Amino acid sequence: MAIIVSIHNATKDYRLGKVTVPALRGVSLQVNSGEFLSIAGPSGSGKTTLLNLIGCVDTPTSGSVEVAGHNTTQLGERALTRLRLYTIGFIFQSFNLVSVLDVFRNVELPLLLQRTLASSQRAARVHSLLERVGLKDYTKHRPSELSGGQRQRVAIARALVTRPQLVLADEPTANLDSVTGQNILDLMRELNHADGTTFIFSTHDARVMSYAHAIIRLADGKLSDSPVGAGATAAEVAELGHPIAGASQP
Amino acid sequence: MNAFWDTLKVVAQIALRNLFASRVKTFIVGGIIAFGAFIIVIGTSLLDSVDQSMSRSITGSIAGDIQVYSAESKETLDVFGGFGPGGNDIAPLADFAQVRRTLNTIANVAAVVPMGIDMATVTAGNSVDQVLSRLRESATKIQAGDKSAATVADYTSQKDHIRQIVRVLNGDFENVKKVRTDATDISEDLAFVQKANSEGFWKDFDQDPYGNLEFLENRIASLASDADMLFLRYIGTDPTEFRRTFDRMTIVEGQPIPYGKRGFLFSKYVYEEQVKLRTARTLDKVKVARDNRKEQIAKEPELQRMIKENANNGQEILLQLDGEKTELFRSKLGTYLHSQQTDVGQLLIQFLTMNDDNFDERYQFYYQQLAPSLQLYKVRVGDTLTIKAYTRSGYVQSANLHVYGVFAFKGLEKSPQAGAMNMMDLVSFRELYGYLTADREKEIRDLRAKAGAKDIARENADAQLFGSDTKNDSTATDAPTPSNTPTLAEELSQIAGSRQRSQAQDAPYDPAQLEQGVVLNAAVFLKDARQLGNTLTAIESAAARDRLPLKALSWQKAVGITGQFTVLMRAVLYTAVIIIFLVALIIINNALVMATLERVREFGTLRAIGAQRRFIWSMLVLESVVTGILFGVIGILLGTLVVSWLGHRGIPAWNDIVTFFFSGPRLYPELSSKNLGLALIIVLVVSVISSTYPAWIAMRVSPRQAMQSEE
Repeated sequence: MAIIVSIHNATKDYRLGKVTVPALRGVSLQVNSGEFLSIAGPSGSGKTTLLNLIGCVDTPTSGSVEVAGHNTTQLGERALTRLRLYTIGFIFQSFNLVSVLDVFRNVELPLLLQRTLASSQRAARVHSLLERVGLKDYTKHRPSELSGGQRQRVAIARALVTRPQLVLADEPTANLDSVTGQNILDLMRELNHADGTTFIFSTHDARVMSYAHAIIRLADGKLSDSPVGAGATAAEVAELGHPIAGASQP
Repeated sequence: MNAFWDTLKVVAQIALRNLFASRVKTFIVGGIIAFGAFIIVIGTSLLDSVDQSMSRSITGSIAGDIQVYSAESKETLDVFGGFGPGGNDIAPLADFAQVRRTLNTIANVAAVVPMGIDMATVTAGNSVDQVLSRLRESATKIQAGDKSAATVADYTSQKDHIRQIVRVLNGDFENVKKVRTDATDISEDLAFVQKANSEGFWKDFDQDPYGNLEFLENRIASLASDADMLFLRYIGTDPTEFRRTFDRMTIVEGQPIPYGKRGFLFSKYVYEEQVKLRTARTLDKVKVARDNRKEQIAKEPELQRMIKENANNGQEILLQLDGEKTELFRSKLGTYLHSQQTDVGQLLIQFLTMNDDNFDERYQFYYQQLAPSLQLYKVRVGDTLTIKAYTRSGYVQSANLHVYGVFAFKGLEKSPQAGAMNMMDLVSFRELYGYLTADREKEIRDLRAKAGAKDIARENADAQLFGSDTKNDSTATDAPTPSNTPTLAEELSQIAGSRQRSQAQDAPYDPAQLEQGVVLNAAVFLKDARQLGNTLTAIESAAARDRLPLKALSWQKAVGITGQFTVLMRAVLYTAVIIIFLVALIIINNALVMATLERVREFGTLRAIGAQRRFIWSMLVLESVVTGILFGVIGILLGTLVVSWLGHRGIPAWNDIVTFFFSGPRLYPELSSKNLGLALIIVLVVSVISSTYPAWIAMRVSPRQAMQSEE
């Protein structure tokens, strides 16, 4: 099984005025391709920072982060952007759709940035994804005309339209009610299952964690126990009384 | 490649939709841009139109495209000649033929017109002199035995006219005597006037008409001081060539100076301002003020002053009245004014004292009832004008020139600068200027041959003639510098000139003389006026090659400050435009920075999902450029509409100076694609510059910004 993310002793410090705030204090982990992984922890534990490092929107202060075989500390701004464009899909807590574009255009946007597909190929891909997320009749709608759940489905379609190896979701259900949140997680898991796309999502919600194959727990910028492998997390999931997701594990 | 256009399409789409989404910002920014574009279109169109009409008027009336003059001149040529007498100090070009030869070697030169500009005094006819000379003619006829009714009637009427003049003079002297305590200095003159005013003088007039005429000519004529000294600026040129090349010149009265003839043309402006009867001129001016500027005599002290002065100008009318006309005026004015007054002078004063209620009616009465009996202009077309000028050597030279007509420059009719220029033939000009014409040179040669005269300069005259050493003589130190000192030959030429002038006035000259000899400057017309700059250089190098001290000026520079007007106005306009757009830049920049800060999450998201920085940058600049083009075009269209409307309707000139700049009573501005293009370019540049900083900020937004939760 290929390793898609490999982190070695990564630290990240932020400067707040004259004070240096350590957000990550030495994290090491590996994520296998095709996983459905949750990063859990309370606010300020370093979830978002870790996700930023994995998502190539930030680089570690020390240590190394390898994504799809690229050591991000050795890449420049433009190369990191290219890596994000071709390898990673993003799902945001507050959806972050471009408000002035309709659903179709929002989903198509990453393909336009890639500039590799012809317009008909793009359209075919956008339509098939919208169908899969259940929004095929909403192509002409503006984000403001959609419900929160619908918007997050659009965001999921946008994240997947480039067929990335890795999808990162930052608290994807935090702005949704629990039923809608579950639907979104079901959809994500389904897509993970069908395409083998790796999903990593951060959350502090125990019910959301229960969907994960594996959970990485963060506290004070450190892993709170060994996360790698489904076995390590199965007990925790069992503790919560939720069924383990039926995804195949290595 | 397709993908590039698709990307551009999405950038454009995002940009456009953003513009629509933030309408308020868009309209503020767009409004400023539209306003700026509007101002540029209107301003540059107006300026170009003024520039073009002025350039057409000035080049087509007096300057030509280029003026050449001697590089040895102490001052820069100004064809409108500043304000001092004699204009500016321009050295003569000795041989115009040579100048023409040199200029004709330049391909772009289409025509060269010789010129000279100078100033002289002119005595505009003394009405007493004129009546007396007519009376003398009649008397001569009668003495010769012509006793026809017509001659006798003329003779009687002319005598009555002189009596009328003498009565007016007598009245004046009585008035002067009343107000002055010591009148001894005028007592002799008074005695002459009283004698001429006596019944006895006129009863016995026919006994010795010649003796009495002589008395009147010598003692009385000089006292009637209606003869005005006019200071006239004139241009001496080849009148035929001038009329052919300067298309703005029109003859408004009379005829042009015939080919090969000496003659004078009055400028319409001078003719109206200085030669017309003062009463008539004043009435004209008051009428213009009332009709065109809607001023009222009751409210304008200047008009009141003019009306008051005009009442005293009545004397010029009185002097024109012979017995018959006096009677006519008395009855017309008496009836009109319902007055029992028998003194025409008093009636005239009463008539000329006008107010807002009766002005229009009296103006009409003046022109319809009185003017036909008067000589409205002191010099009439067909008269002979005596022009006295100071030559370069300081002598007074005079010429009697036939006045052929009155001319004006189209578009510059009301310009005091261009209107001050009268015209005469170049041959007469050279005489007045003090240079030898071929005829005169020959005459002097003959004279000298006869007299055996030697060429002796004045400062050496004593030594050469009397052999004495004048070095210690006090007169020697006062001697003028050689360059200013006329040679005897020159003095002789002046004597010859004055002897010759009585027959010279109508004598034709050999037109070849126009070509050969002195000119002060010359107007050059170009085949392609756009090549003016290059041609200036070409002229100066051709002159250097031919060792001719020639200096070339563009028409703008040759007309002094007048030609610089549009340059100045353009500087003012561009400064204003720059200020408007600097302010616009700041406002637009602020608006865009605000908008950018509101859209941080959007930019962060775009960056996170893989948009490069330059995508963000171009998106924002494009937004700005689209706004710029959209509203710039709106502003340009509005400006175009306004200019077309003005071009159709014309902008009326509100005073004489504006009339000059408009080169006519109305300016009809025209659009040029150049100005529209300029407006669009400026708008685009401003759009790009104003969006650069906000776009830079947007470009620097970290993709992390997308991750931050809203809570």
